[in-house]
Amino acid sequence: MKFLIQIIATIIVCFLLQTFLPWWTLAIGALAVSFIAGNKAGVSFVAGFVGVGILWFGMAFYIDQTTHSILTEKVNKLLPLNSFVLTTLIGGLVGGFAAMTGALIKKQI
Amino acid sequence: MKLVKPVISLSITIALVYFLNNSWNFGSPIPPLGKFVDPFHGFWQNAETGKVSDQQVNLPGLKDKVTVVYDSVLIPHLYASNNSDLYYAQGYVTAQHRLWQMEFQTHAAAGRISEIAGSAALDFDRNQRRLGMVLGAENSLKMIKADPEIEEAVKAYTAGINAYINQLNDEKLPIEYKLMGYRPEPWTELKVGLFLMNMAKTLNSGENDIELTNALKVFGKETLDLLFPDREPVSDPIVDNEGGWKFKPVTLDSIPAIEPMEVVSIKPVEKQPKNIGSNNWAVSGKKTASGSPILCSDPHLGLTMPSIWYAIHLNAPGINSMGASFPGSPCVIIGFNDSIAWGPTNAQRDLVDWYKITFKDNTKNEYLSDGQWKSTKKRIEKFSIKGKPDFYDTIVLTHLGPVTYDESYHGDKQNKHYAYRWIAHDGGNILRTFYEFNRGNNHGDYMKALDHYYFPAQNFAFASVAGDIAIRIQGKYPVRRKDEGKFVLDGSKTSSEWKAFIPFDQNVMIKNPERGFVSSANQYPVDGSYPYFVHSSQWEHYRNRRVNRVLSEMNNITPQQMMQLQNDNYNIQAEEYLPLLLDGVKSFTLTEDEKKAVELVKAWNYTNNAEGTAPSYFEAWLEELQLSIWDEMVDSKVSLPKPSEYTTWWLLKNSPDLPFYDYQKTPEKETRNDIIRMGLQRAIERVSRWEKDHGRKADWAYYKDSFVRHLLRLEPFSVHAINGGNPNTLNASRGGWGPSWRMVVSLEKTGIRAWGVYPGGQSGNPGSPYYDNFIAPWEKAQPLRLKFEGAPSALTSSALFTTTLTPASK
Repeated sequence: MKFLIQIIATIIVCFLLQTFLPWWTLAIGALAVSFIAGNKAGVSFVAGFVGVGILWFGMAFYIDQTTHSILTEKVNKLLPLNSFVLTTLIGGLVGGFAAMTGALIKKQI
Repeated sequence: MKLVKPVISLSITIALVYFLNNSWNFGSPIPPLGKFVDPFHGFWQNAETGKVSDQQVNLPGLKDKVTVVYDSVLIPHLYASNNSDLYYAQGYVTAQHRLWQMEFQTHAAAGRISEIAGSAALDFDRNQRRLGMVLGAENSLKMIKADPEIEEAVKAYTAGINAYINQLNDEKLPIEYKLMGYRPEPWTELKVGLFLMNMAKTLNSGENDIELTNALKVFGKETLDLLFPDREPVSDPIVDNEGGWKFKPVTLDSIPAIEPMEVVSIKPVEKQPKNIGSNNWAVSGKKTASGSPILCSDPHLGLTMPSIWYAIHLNAPGINSMGASFPGSPCVIIGFNDSIAWGPTNAQRDLVDWYKITFKDNTKNEYLSDGQWKSTKKRIEKFSIKGKPDFYDTIVLTHLGPVTYDESYHGDKQNKHYAYRWIAHDGGNILRTFYEFNRGNNHGDYMKALDHYYFPAQNFAFASVAGDIAIRIQGKYPVRRKDEGKFVLDGSKTSSEWKAFIPFDQNVMIKNPERGFVSSANQYPVDGSYPYFVHSSQWEHYRNRRVNRVLSEMNNITPQQMMQLQNDNYNIQAEEYLPLLLDGVKSFTLTEDEKKAVELVKAWNYTNNAEGTAPSYFEAWLEELQLSIWDEMVDSKVSLPKPSEYTTWWLLKNSPDLPFYDYQKTPEKETRNDIIRMGLQRAIERVSRWEKDHGRKADWAYYKDSFVRHLLRLEPFSVHAINGGNPNTLNASRGGWGPSWRMVVSLEKTGIRAWGVYPGGQSGNPGSPYYDNFIAPWEKAQPLRLKFEGAPSALTSSALFTTTLTPASK
């Protein structure tokens, strides 16, 4: 349950942060949520990864759908990986490590 | 050490963010990936639906309201109440669609590409500065600043661009900035001058002085005159006014131009490709169905995404003008207003010289001029290079121009130094010309406007609602003595310098000629009775004859027929060459493959249409033949020029025993026919290799590949167009070059009707539906009807959206 809550909270907090602030503030959001949620390090990593991954994938998917993939196809040819995969992976990794950091800090206190 | 784990985890997170927030280069460049794929600010945000709702934008520095209506193809129609606001809005609107391109192209002009692309661009950047590109832009800006109206326009245009940059958020930052990880800097007035230097370089820097100098030494004067005649035996000049030049020409003391007898072992920096050209013509009302003149303009330039052109309509008290503008410069450049229309082609004349400089010593502080030592100036140029320390280059300036080539740059092995004299160094206020064109009412206004035009020299066609047609070759031309300008000159003698310029009223021009039309296609400009020496490294030989042939036969002309003529694929070069080539291989016993190829081209109608492989075989044959005949030049260690394809044909026809026919790499001595057959064999190999590589038949459109390439050479942002044509047909489309703005204007008393199209689209954003929507009508040569309305209300029903620009309250 706490796992699901962390995911949902990560999505909401990072969404709000990213709407106004640069992309890397999602790391602060994921870290803070994880700190409060108090899951174990491994679980937190997965929750952070999945939370930010869903957020980034979802947003990218929404843009792709409303613009009929006009840019996605071109950028796919520029990047070594499919741009959805890359977007989800990059967002997820940063979210995951940030969340793990949050959990590990909490453990120390 | 309980803290280890959180510290490691935090470090990984920070390192990851740092890595993903910056761009890198591990062999190939990597964008700041985190920033780039962030769906809230990164590339995803550049994807557009094209649907925008009406909006109001408050802008500082605007005096009054400006209404901008975007029509159905995203062409903006600007309605302002004063000039300053008009050009402010032009800057703002253009930046909104083309900001990255505007900055990139002016960075290129200024030799600053290394700043964003790294050290690979350093040689290019140094060349730009050593050619005096910045020098010329600075001189132009001085002249602009001496003209209050133009200064106001340039200042307002600059302010408008900067207003856009200042409110630009991360989301809407053009994707190229996101890819390369940088942001736009403020626009400056100098950048307007820099942009125009780009055009000068593309259009007015053609020369082969170093190559001809070497050829003189290697082959001797007699051969040189045979291979590179002053006037090739093909004559259909832009203005044929035999005996009509009734002015007293400027003459110079007849000191013959010195012919140097030495080899210059410089490897000149890559030249502009030779298929730059353009067509324009205007037909008088006598020859049209409507009884009103029609003007057609069709400049052939490098085809890029985003395009060199941006269509726009400018309306304010005293001006109502529409057409193509340069992203980077105010005014409409090729277009029309309520009363007149104008369109240029490139005037090919030699406006460049290289002078050999004799320095006193290695300090290069002094150089020889008429027996005296003159002082040089030095300009220290700083190059910021992405990912590398700064590079400094000292450019030595003489009164002739900057020393481009020396031991530190593409140097001559014998340590010689060459200064570059170029008309564009002198600067010019050519925006004054376009400013007046945009507001002109008649032929007199057109002539007055052209008196301000220095470079790049162009053949300006003109037509008016009043019924006049005209053409004038305008540029600042040095008065040349015979052979002057062909070879490298001696910089130590002032007698070899440019002494005087042709007075503008003695430039080549004609109004309302008897034949009922004017035209130009980069050919030799004038009949033999024109009293000045005219020289160029390259004239056009075929398009000009085609357009004159067709126009002289036509009557009751409609705009639609003119659009077809712009797309005409009939190839006079093939009409002349092919019988000669077929005759050349007649006496041989041909292989099956050769027979097939010969039958194919024999049945061909000399038309370079998109479908069919015959044009591919012919073109390959022609190219292989040139390479084998002129192998003496191609394989030479020093740079040597190749004769034109026209002269090659003329020699093949009239000099059956030229020593050049012998192919040097074989022990046998080849005859003319041997070399023609050798060309055929190689052409067949070339085409079949192409077919194997591409896995398809060599249909002409695919074989020649009209490629509209993104400025960063990114394939996914580029477009391969499927069309016919080649540089020698009116539809001069091949490779990365071709018709860049096809415009047809019918100047009817009941109101102007106009059409235009360029390969690309109004938006420079690859994520916009308006990025490449002009490609299809361009391929089919179906220009779009330009909506030329005097008031915004007439447009709104068909408009995409309207933006109202209002002054921001202070």
